[in-house]
Amino acid sequence: MNPLLSRRDLLSQLGAGFGGLALGTLLNETAIANASAQASGPHFEPKAKAVIQLYMHGGPSHVDLLDPKPLLSRLDGTPPSGEVADDENRTKNLMGSPHRFRGRGESGLEFSEIQPFVSQHADEIAVVRSMFTEHRNHEQAIWMAQTGLTIAGRPTLGAWLAYGLGTENRNLPAFVALPDPKGQSVDGIRNWSSGWLPPQFQGTMFREQGSPVLHLQPTEKRSARVENARAVLLRELNKRHLASRPGELELEARIEAFELAGRMQLAATSALDLSQETAATHKLYGLDNDKTKSYGTRCLMARRLIERGVRFVSLFMAGQPWDTHSENNKRTKDCCEQTDLPVGGLLTDLKQRGLLDSTLILWGGEFGRTPAAELRNGNAAAGRDHHPYGFSVWLAGGGVKGGQAYGATDDFGYRAVENRTQTANLHATILHLLGLDHEELNYYHNGRDERLTDIYQASVINELLA
Amino acid sequence: MILTLVSAVVSSGFANAAEDKPSDKLTFATDILPIFRAKCIRCHAGVEPKGDLNLTQPSSLLNGGKSGAAIRIAAAEFSLLYEKIAADKMPLDGQKLTATEKGIIRTWINDGAEGVSNVKPVDLAEDLTGAELWSFNPPLRPEIPELARDDRVRNPIDAFVLKQLEEKELSFAADASRTTLLRRASFDLLGLPPTPAEIEQFVNDDRPDAYPRTIGRLLASPRYGERWARHWLDVAGYADSAGILSEDRQLPLLWKYRDYVIRAFNNDKPYDRFLLEQLAGDELTDYWTAYKTMDELPASVVEAVTATGFLRTAADPSRPDFSTIKNAHAQYYYPTLFDTLQIVCSSTMGLTIQCARCHSHKFDPIPQVDYYRMQAIFMNAYRPDNWVPQMNRRVKVATKKQEDAATKRNAEIDEAVKNLQAELAALKKEFTEKLFADRLAKVSEDVRADVESAFVTPDGKRTNEQNAFVEKFKKELRPEGKELDEALGSTYQEYQEQSAELNGKVATENGHRVTFDEIRALYDLEGPVTTPVLLRGDPLTPGPPVRPGVISTIATPQLFDWKDSAKETRPSGRRLAFAKWLTQAEHPLTARVMVNRIWMHHFGRGIVASPEDFGVTGAPPSHPALLDWLATEFVRSSWSVKHIHRLILTSSAWRQSSQVDDDDRGKCEQVDPNNDLLWRQRIRRLEAEPLRDAILFASGTAEQTMYGPPVPVSRSSNGEAIVPPGHGENRRSVYVLVMRLRPETMLDLFDQPKIAVNCTQRGVSTVSTQALTLLNSDIMVRAANAFADRVLSHGEDDPVAYAVRVAFARSCGNTERELFDNFVVEQTNRYLAESPEESRDQPEVMTKAKRNALADLCHMLLSANEFAYLD
Repeated sequence: MNPLLSRRDLLSQLGAGFGGLALGTLLNETAIANASAQASGPHFEPKAKAVIQLYMHGGPSHVDLLDPKPLLSRLDGTPPSGEVADDENRTKNLMGSPHRFRGRGESGLEFSEIQPFVSQHADEIAVVRSMFTEHRNHEQAIWMAQTGLTIAGRPTLGAWLAYGLGTENRNLPAFVALPDPKGQSVDGIRNWSSGWLPPQFQGTMFREQGSPVLHLQPTEKRSARVENARAVLLRELNKRHLASRPGELELEARIEAFELAGRMQLAATSALDLSQETAATHKLYGLDNDKTKSYGTRCLMARRLIERGVRFVSLFMAGQPWDTHSENNKRTKDCCEQTDLPVGGLLTDLKQRGLLDSTLILWGGEFGRTPAAELRNGNAAAGRDHHPYGFSVWLAGGGVKGGQAYGATDDFGYRAVENRTQTANLHATILHLLGLDHEELNYYHNGRDERLTDIYQASVINELLA
Repeated sequence: MILTLVSAVVSSGFANAAEDKPSDKLTFATDILPIFRAKCIRCHAGVEPKGDLNLTQPSSLLNGGKSGAAIRIAAAEFSLLYEKIAADKMPLDGQKLTATEKGIIRTWINDGAEGVSNVKPVDLAEDLTGAELWSFNPPLRPEIPELARDDRVRNPIDAFVLKQLEEKELSFAADASRTTLLRRASFDLLGLPPTPAEIEQFVNDDRPDAYPRTIGRLLASPRYGERWARHWLDVAGYADSAGILSEDRQLPLLWKYRDYVIRAFNNDKPYDRFLLEQLAGDELTDYWTAYKTMDELPASVVEAVTATGFLRTAADPSRPDFSTIKNAHAQYYYPTLFDTLQIVCSSTMGLTIQCARCHSHKFDPIPQVDYYRMQAIFMNAYRPDNWVPQMNRRVKVATKKQEDAATKRNAEIDEAVKNLQAELAALKKEFTEKLFADRLAKVSEDVRADVESAFVTPDGKRTNEQNAFVEKFKKELRPEGKELDEALGSTYQEYQEQSAELNGKVATENGHRVTFDEIRALYDLEGPVTTPVLLRGDPLTPGPPVRPGVISTIATPQLFDWKDSAKETRPSGRRLAFAKWLTQAEHPLTARVMVNRIWMHHFGRGIVASPEDFGVTGAPPSHPALLDWLATEFVRSSWSVKHIHRLILTSSAWRQSSQVDDDDRGKCEQVDPNNDLLWRQRIRRLEAEPLRDAILFASGTAEQTMYGPPVPVSRSSNGEAIVPPGHGENRRSVYVLVMRLRPETMLDLFDQPKIAVNCTQRGVSTVSTQALTLLNSDIMVRAANAFADRVLSHGEDDPVAYAVRVAFARSCGNTERELFDNFVVEQTNRYLAESPEESRDQPEVMTKAKRNALADLCHMLLSANEFAYLD
């Protein structure tokens, strides 16, 4: 039998717990550590140990947030010239941003005024202004942003990192998704899918209300004595079963999974007990304000999870709030009002705790928005349409060289022209910051060694590295 | 075999239709070439153009140079050439292009790049041969090996397996016990545990053929089809959702295909017929002739057309409104075709053909052109350049005659209904006026005339006073809508009776309306079609067209036999020709791939451990001769799947115990640590569906209703996706709705595949969330309680022994009994201790505590390794 396959068989079957390290430990315990080369850990010294991904569903408007375009304001209301006219005729006249931009921090990196809190960290933040993607529709563009190709069913960035690095806390998953209790984001559970990677690498959904993890407790709680007696009985049953089947690793792995479940009940409950935080911290994240409470809660949960060794935390908002087809100005501002203070608070808090250097923060969506107006409901309610040809994302902490804008769009914000950045380059850079080489992080699937950056000639963006 | 050169010199598929060119459209010759001449040809022309890109030749733009295609049709923003000129990266030196020039080139590309034709024949010839690859050559029936000791040989399978063991001085483990075998066989064939009665019967059956009889009984059970259909639905990529991106809309009809698969397995439909129907059922049974000429569709035609649902499982994101999207064929429709070909090839031939979409396969002898020849087989039906949205692709279970008759009948009904409704309206009008008159009579006399004249005067011509009257009396005199109906009904019995009668007639007429069942089927569309090779797999860089064909390097006695009819008619016969090629007796892959799958589900691993990849990078067969013997035996048995089951399940190889005593084990593991040679059976974990089904079965709540629309799944308040109670939550898992984005929580947790394309081999994950769900979910708590109640009512004399028999299909050992009995006693006391002190000696409190303790025991049995694993 193919030795590679045999190793993979083992891996896919023995992934007790949530990630590579848990697996490695388990295999060490069962004295077959040599077979567990998979989650080999980083390929080189990492800058970041963990990632918090602030995924912005809908496609935030780069020209209203991170990519100032004075010309656009000057030509506001005029038809675009040939080279920046909408190739699908879905927008009309150019529309300048009503929001003032201003340089912040020592670096003078520009942010629009609707991000007063995040922009306080300008010197920590690197804005990539030259992103482009390959699809004008949400889902495909989300798949590109999250999984590296515009097709469905591939593993997300978080799953790749869980696969590559495992977790540092055996009692918690390597990859946690924090969806909005108000509702699913567009594309739902695929936002934290492991695709064809083994399921232990998919994001585990933690909730901010009720039981933090599904089935952490039964609906009708049992007393500790009753619960304990059940666990003892099950342990005994499985022990006797194993005794007559020595060496069956799968059985041992399943026993371990039940033990882990017990430990996770404690670890997850404690990790998400926000009452352990001070009032000042609650305020820092905006938990004292209805507008910011929901997103702030997830930001604070993210910090607590990262602190406890979770590798990758993804935060989501319900639906796709940045999809401002109408009332772009008002709705973009509204999104900022919900998220800017909590994200600023998160950066402040991480910095205070000395965690920012080892935690990579990713902010961005699947595309940007058109520099010209989309007139769905008349001029007054002008929106912006989806725009894949040039848009912005930002990174901070975790080995990122802050205080800079990397790349540029043309004078209209239409097309990335300078240091054009394909998604694969961003992914390669993220993996690099975590000590992984995008070409070496492979998984054999359907006759092929798959990787996050797939067919692309990707390169790490050295300018972004501190 | 050397491939022939595809030398067609034609224009590419999508871009050029010279005849409908609007006069103002930019063209290469008049608008683009002059710009290139002025700015670019210093480098990009001549004998050795820079980067191998010659901009004076339109063909060169698609074929591209060293860096790939220079343009992609109708996608300037994603074209390399435009990227370079837009950012002034090109021309390298000299004058950059002006904004106007950039705009012209951009518009020209976005309008379809008029004038770009692929006049240079792409060199598709490749010197590839499949001769070296074992799986591309037909299986030859091997001799059954002779053995030094043949006392363990029950059938030829054993001879082959033992031969390889013998060479390493190994042999089979002892036969497993009867109870172990029965549990193993029940799960393997039915996906369910044996009942206590079945165990009793089999263990005490001392007839010499007791075992084969039992296997026969299991194979005859309708539960068998439900179990084995699920295996096939995995490779077919079955889902009940269309895959419209994140809408994930439910497909209303595909479950009929699921039922077809269940019936096919239960009836042991010959596998070649099974494939013929799924790939070309419409052509095989001549659906179109039946449709046009017969009174009604024969059942065999309906069945075969239903089978083509196999070709409708790929995610199809199309919606009618997508027709306005630019390049929708490339963005939305081609991917469905790509996925379909991947499903067909991986399921039937064990090939990872998708690599050849973009380039000739790096490892396997599959040239890129063959990928598109295979695609051409399906092109008549799919047609990315003229797509039919998925919700409109359905076939009525009716012939033309029936449809015409229905149209006629329904028109008559429409007419009758129209007349009845006119009668109703007249009736209503009459009584409305009557109501007005009657109520007016009750208005105080001094204003009555004024009120009447106010209502008679048309709106707009009324005086202020009249308006005030109308406003005041409107509700009373001229009620509207529901109020009018109520007033008429309550005031005039006559009206009520007459309108009820008329409404009854309308309902009766509507009840006669003729509708037909529909099938989600695949069928050819009308009109000619071309299939271009897509350069680098990109629909926006179409190359020369190809004819239908198959993978030319697979050696088959019968070649792919399809002829272009003079005027291509419907059906085109392409899929039938392919299906016949695929199901020929000596096809190198078809039988091998299927027997390997059957083997895999009985031994936990295929003879080829990579069932989706019989190519160079796949695992080589552990028992090559056995694989070929089984493949030829399969064909000889008229492709009977049940024959292969029977052979495998009656073999000593399968009947071995999975447990070997320590001495033997050490010895065997030294020689063959992975048990590749099968010196023992492998322990296997139940997949998601048998696990869930067995839990329902043990709890006594399982419901055996077969077939029909899927059991719904909805999100419960705590966020899990479950079958809502009262909606079939106790039916078998194969009937549970499969949504791509909303999988049933328990099935999902235990590795039911989340379908993106298809699943050729499931993963087996072991994670803590599985443990949490087993221990704490409402479903499990409910099942444990029901199990306890069942045990109390059936096993009165010995509930614990009965529980063990139900859960583990064996009797309860002595030391175990002590453990369980003690647990029940102590757990009962714990529950008692939790109830108020004064109530503890009440019998119902005692009973409840004992029942809860027993439920805890049952719950732990259902959660135990022994329940989840087969020995």
